Amino acid sequence: MKNKIKAKGVSVFYGEKQALFDVDLNVAEKQVTALIGPSGCGKSTFLRCLNRMNDVIDICKVSGVIEIDGENIYDKSVDVVQLRERVGMVFQKPNPFPKSIYENVSYGPDIHGIAKDKNHMDEIVENSLKQAALWDEVKDRLDEPGTGLSGGQQQRLCIARAISINPEVILMDEPCSALDPIATAKIETLIDELKSLYTIAIVTHSMSQAARVSQYTGFFHLGKLIEFNTTDKLFKNPDNKMTQDYITGRFG
Amino acid sequence: MTREQRLKKRYTAEKRFRLMGIGAIAIAIFFVFLLLLKVFSTGSTAFVKTTIQTEVDFNKELLELKDVANPNIEQIKSAEFFDVTYKAATGLFPYSNAEEEKDVKQLLSGNYELEIKNYLINNPDALGKKVMIDLTASDDLDQLHKGNFPRDIPEDRRRLNNFQLNIYDNLLEQGKIKTVFSNYFLFSGDSRDPEIAGVAGAIIGSFFSIIICLIISFPIALMAAVYLEEFAPKNIVTDIIEININNLAAVPSIVFGLLGLGMLLGVFGLPRSTALVGGITLSLMTLPTIIIACRASLKAVPPSIREGALAVGASKVQTVMHHVVPLAMPGTLSGTIIGLAQALGETAPLLLIGMVAFVVDVPSVPTDPSTSLPVQIYLWSESAERGFVEKTSATIMLLIGFLIIMNSLAVWARQKFERKW
Ligand SMILES: Nc1ncnc2c1ncn2[C@@H]1O[C@H](COP(=O)(O)OP(=O)(O)OP(=O)(O)O)[C@@H](O)[C@H]1O
Ligand SMILES: [Mg+2]
Repeated sequence: MKNKIKAKGVSVFYGEKQALFDVDLNVAEKQVTALIGPSGCGKSTFLRCLNRMNDVIDICKVSGVIEIDGENIYDKSVDVVQLRERVGMVFQKPNPFPKSIYENVSYGPDIHGIAKDKNHMDEIVENSLKQAALWDEVKDRLDEPGTGLSGGQQQRLCIARAISINPEVILMDEPCSALDPIATAKIETLIDELKSLYTIAIVTHSMSQAARVSQYTGFFHLGKLIEFNTTDKLFKNPDNKMTQDYITGRFG
Repeated sequence: MTREQRLKKRYTAEKRFRLMGIGAIAIAIFFVFLLLLKVFSTGSTAFVKTTIQTEVDFNKELLELKDVANPNIEQIKSAEFFDVTYKAATGLFPYSNAEEEKDVKQLLSGNYELEIKNYLINNPDALGKKVMIDLTASDDLDQLHKGNFPRDIPEDRRRLNNFQLNIYDNLLEQGKIKTVFSNYFLFSGDSRDPEIAGVAGAIIGSFFSIIICLIISFPIALMAAVYLEEFAPKNIVTDIIEININNLAAVPSIVFGLLGLGMLLGVFGLPRSTALVGGITLSLMTLPTIIIACRASLKAVPPSIREGALAVGASKVQTVMHHVVPLAMPGTLSGTIIGLAQALGETAPLLLIGMVAFVVDVPSVPTDPSTSLPVQIYLWSESAERGFVEKTSATIMLLIGFLIIMNSLAVWARQKFERKW
């Protein structure tokens, strides 16, 4: 299996405080990689390193190497905007723009000049919404505000927004934490379908979700990657005692 | 203490708290009411004036138009009105000596000659005829008719002597004294004579100043706020800038007047007493206020919106321009309007840059000398004539009215552009 992303010796500091310690982790191409671990262990921090979202935080300093297709994304020559075109992100709390559903999806293609004309844009919006399993619910009200949708619909809208610019990687930070079981199930099915097209990394607090949707799982604890394995192996027969304790619910 | 006692104590505490709140609001409303009552009761009469119906004989001979068959407007304008107006004024009431003649003439406003002339220009048909015209009465008669001058004090302490009071009573009996809407107050400039003084110059001056203030301060304040809030690194330099902006917002406005005097008039040599300089000075004063309001509304835009835009590959500038600034619009707009309302009511800095000059002409461009509404209030409140008292209050009414309009606009802007997220 080819590795899309290779992280080597990644450490992250928030000011004086170190949040990640020397993490090595690979994300396999067109597979789902789950990141689990107790709260505050640095899962989000690691995920945000992959599209340099941490650049936004002044006090955040990242060291180490993260390669996507063999190119170090922290290299000076890399343009962050182009990187984020290739690496999309879906956040824990749905954050649609306070604009119409259509504009939410068309915004990315618009600023990157992906659509050739209006028809092409309509096509991109429709395809993205279909891939995000939202099209049938919103096709008659594309000009209504995206913020008027239900929480689960909003999150799928954000997924549609992320895939509208046809990224190579999609990062998801607890995308289901604000959703009910039915909406969660929809998004899990969606993730499973999306993995044939995109490389996906997902942070989750739900052990069962990690087991259901991912092929690889990394377990973090106190800023360190304790164990990384195929999901099957990690949940059935973990190498590390701490992992064992965590997945059986003995701490965390 | 038992449960019951504690409950009772909590209830009385809540009741006391509510009463204190209601009391505070009641006191505030009472003072506002008192202010409005005072201003309205003295100011409302400024919108009307007193007129005296006067017979005017547009005799062609007196006008020196006898030889012209069909005089056109130009010829009427250049006609000799002295005899006609003199006859009209002195014909109000029979008199026996030069002293009394002066008393009669003084019942009309200083502008009566112009009023007679304008009447003929607007009604050329009246040429050669005798017509009755309502001419503006003098300030003293106006105040007497409005009941502001007591009649029962000794003659030498009165503005109108017994002879004049007698004329007034006589004219009143004949129904020649009328109260009509004053065309002077709202539509003409300042004057030494209260009965023909108006606020048009001050309104236009204030309008020009506020527009210039808006044109200068809004873009600068928005850019400064956007840069500080979204782009500037958080370090000691930006901290110092922030402290300074907050400080400037608290600097007494007269200091900005000194700055305007020294820089704009002294160094750049801009024309003194003009709305241009006034507007620039006011914008110096409102900049910090608007910057603070803009920064607060930018800060109120949830970070998740910025992250959402950045995550689809928007650049920093695109994120700010496409999402953050439009979302902050309600706050920035209402903050700007409130800043402008503050500038509208500002007096001290304008005094220093010479907008306190006595200006008769209504300004037509921002580089004409002018005053502003609050300065006009200040000027008139200093004047001795009784007629300026009501003008002062009426100008306060106008100023309060404009402030209410602007503040409602701010509320409206906030609600209109408010978006939920
Ligand atoms: N913006 C920030 N500034 C300072 N410290 C931060 C910041 N974000 C995260 N941290 C710190 O970094 C550590 C890791 O945080 P992170 O958000 O990555 O945890 P997490 O594993 O995602 O937790 P959770 O499951 O609760 O989301 C925490 O100790 C946190 O306090
Ligand atoms: Mg997290």
